[in-house]
Amino acid sequence: MLLLKLIQSLIQTLHSEGTPGQVAAGLVLGSILGLTPLLSLHNVVVVGLIVILNVSIPGAMLGWALCIPAGFLLDPLFDAIGRGLLLGTPALRPLWTALYNAPVAPLSGFNNTVVLGSLVSSLALGVPLFLAARWGVTRYRATVAERLKRSALYAP
Amino acid sequence: MRVFRWKAIVPLLLLGAVGAGLWLVFADRIAKHTTESVGTTFVGARVEIDRLHLDVPHGRVEIRGLTVASPFEALQNLLQADLLVAEVEPLPLLEKKVVIDRLVATGLRFGTPRLTDGRTAEQSDGLKGQITKWGEQLRVPAVQLATGKISVAQLDPTQLHTPRRATALAGRADSARQIWEAGLTGLGTEAAIDSGARMVERLKGAKLTDVKLLGDARRTLEQLKRAQERVTALERSVTSGISALQADAAGLTDATQRDYAIARGLLKLPGLDAPDIGAALFGSAAVDRFQRALYWVQLGRRYMPPGLLPRATPGPRRIRRAGTTVHFPRVNEAPAFLLKAAELSLSVASRTYAARVSGVTSDPTLYGRPAQASGTAPGFRVAALLDHVRPTPRDTAAASLVGVALPSLPLPSLPMHLEPGAGTVGLSFAMQGDQVRARWTVTSDRVRWVRDSAGAGSAVGDLVWRTVSGIATLQMSASLAGTLDRPELAVSSNLDRAIAERLRTMAGAEVAAAERRMRAQVDSLADGPVNAVRAQIATLGGDVTKRLGAQRARLDEARRALEQRLPGLRLP
Repeated sequence: MLLLKLIQSLIQTLHSEGTPGQVAAGLVLGSILGLTPLLSLHNVVVVGLIVILNVSIPGAMLGWALCIPAGFLLDPLFDAIGRGLLLGTPALRPLWTALYNAPVAPLSGFNNTVVLGSLVSSLALGVPLFLAARWGVTRYRATVAERLKRSALYAP
Repeated sequence: MRVFRWKAIVPLLLLGAVGAGLWLVFADRIAKHTTESVGTTFVGARVEIDRLHLDVPHGRVEIRGLTVASPFEALQNLLQADLLVAEVEPLPLLEKKVVIDRLVATGLRFGTPRLTDGRTAEQSDGLKGQITKWGEQLRVPAVQLATGKISVAQLDPTQLHTPRRATALAGRADSARQIWEAGLTGLGTEAAIDSGARMVERLKGAKLTDVKLLGDARRTLEQLKRAQERVTALERSVTSGISALQADAAGLTDATQRDYAIARGLLKLPGLDAPDIGAALFGSAAVDRFQRALYWVQLGRRYMPPGLLPRATPGPRRIRRAGTTVHFPRVNEAPAFLLKAAELSLSVASRTYAARVSGVTSDPTLYGRPAQASGTAPGFRVAALLDHVRPTPRDTAAASLVGVALPSLPLPSLPMHLEPGAGTVGLSFAMQGDQVRARWTVTSDRVRWVRDSAGAGSAVGDLVWRTVSGIATLQMSASLAGTLDRPELAVSSNLDRAIAERLRTMAGAEVAAAERRMRAQVDSLADGPVNAVRAQIATLGGDVTKRLGAQRARLDEARRALEQRLPGLRLP
């Protein structure tokens, strides 16, 4: 059932009125929610951006749903990346020390290896994911979506 | 296309307001859950709170019904508190730092019973496991008094000195043989003897005025003398070498004695000297006390480390991987946690006492002062100082209670336990770097001995029972000293001598038999290599000496023959 819901959500998103860029941006922001531990301060900002920016909210929901399992699977990698950044890169230590002793920043949990590793990874993946998603949505709408609309299965 | 969805501002603000409202409603629960979770991780046992209230406007936190389970006993609490009120500085909270100006705790009770096991497996980063391993090296094997049996551990042949030394000695004897063989070959005695014999033949028909022949004869005689000197030198070397090898062979007896001592150590029985008996009786209880003290000190060192280097701690528990949280302390900033002062009202043995704690912080170097605890009252004294300000941590703690009902002391492997009654108990523990020094004393003049029904009927148990049951006083002292890696435990009590004398009489025969068995086992492993090397040395000495003697005899003969011919020649 969950899989069917996901497929339904995917198709609805792809057929929504948003432009491919809006859908892709929504997917990217949603992927940050899915890849990083949800109860983190930066995700409040991400939710705010999803709501206030003119991005596809279904796209964001889809990105979130798709990336949650990926986040769990990639946690060991995120942990290693975060560890490398926090403990294995002396050049960054002044930055972490300044953030750690600044107001509010420590509340984000940036000094946790999984939080930092997953956030940096999701931000790094953001641009390629955006470009790939925009291209994919454009291609889908130009090819599959047109045929699907003409088929008897399609019920708008 | 518009970038912003302006009409979403209001719903977003509403969402924020709802979020803030939910936080206000659930803040107490979230804080309670977080405190319980952090406390449980810290202590290594369950921390439970009945109710926690955050009074944000006044910077106060109230905790009611705090229960901290014991990390050591299954059904016992470490402490319970009726009420804790903390005055928290609000600004550091924005940096996720907790600075408590003042904490007042009332109704503190220790060692209360609980219904469920509050210990958590391998919390506190496995510290408990490390402490348990540390304590195992101090455990004194209990005398198998109840059964009268003496168990013997497996003797490991590689631990024995004698076979190892005998093998090494055999190697040295072989090397010596090779050297001496080479020496014998290099003496050149055959050539000298042949020259002597030829010269004697030439001299038989020689003229008395043949100067050349006379010179040759004198040179041959010199050659024989030098060969004799070489033989003498080699003889000296062989004699001293054989003596050294024989001395080493004699030294194998000492090695065997040491091996006997190793084998005796495998008997699961301390010596029947008074101090060993004391260690067997009270060592286990003493180690338990010292382990607990060490556990808290090590926890303090783990969570209150000296220095300002980044420090990694386990991340928060969540569905996703917890990861590691790294702290980056900086000079002139607030520590991540600081309890400036706490006033405690506590109950011990049905009496109420007051105590004070100050300077408990996660970053002692930032705070610059050691953590201290103190409490004094008639018959009660406790003081502790955890100085982690300097690079080498220094932790000291001492407590004493006078005239309180002391808990019963089980005596390992004995069918009885000791009820010390009202007495005095003292515990001190000091650790500087990895040097540890501790002492636990128990004194009582109204001791009661209680026979356990499970061990009834044992002859040795009866003997010990008869020995101690008439003793009404107890003076026990256990001390620990050394490094953490090599601590040494010493226990003594007024019971030791009495029990030791009785035990020596009773168990002496059995111990002697067990020792005889162990000696036989050592002998069976050592005798073969020892006898072989002794025979090898004896053979070597005889053989080389005999061959040298033969060479010397032939040289002497050749020289004598030549000298007999020489006096007949007239020298020019």
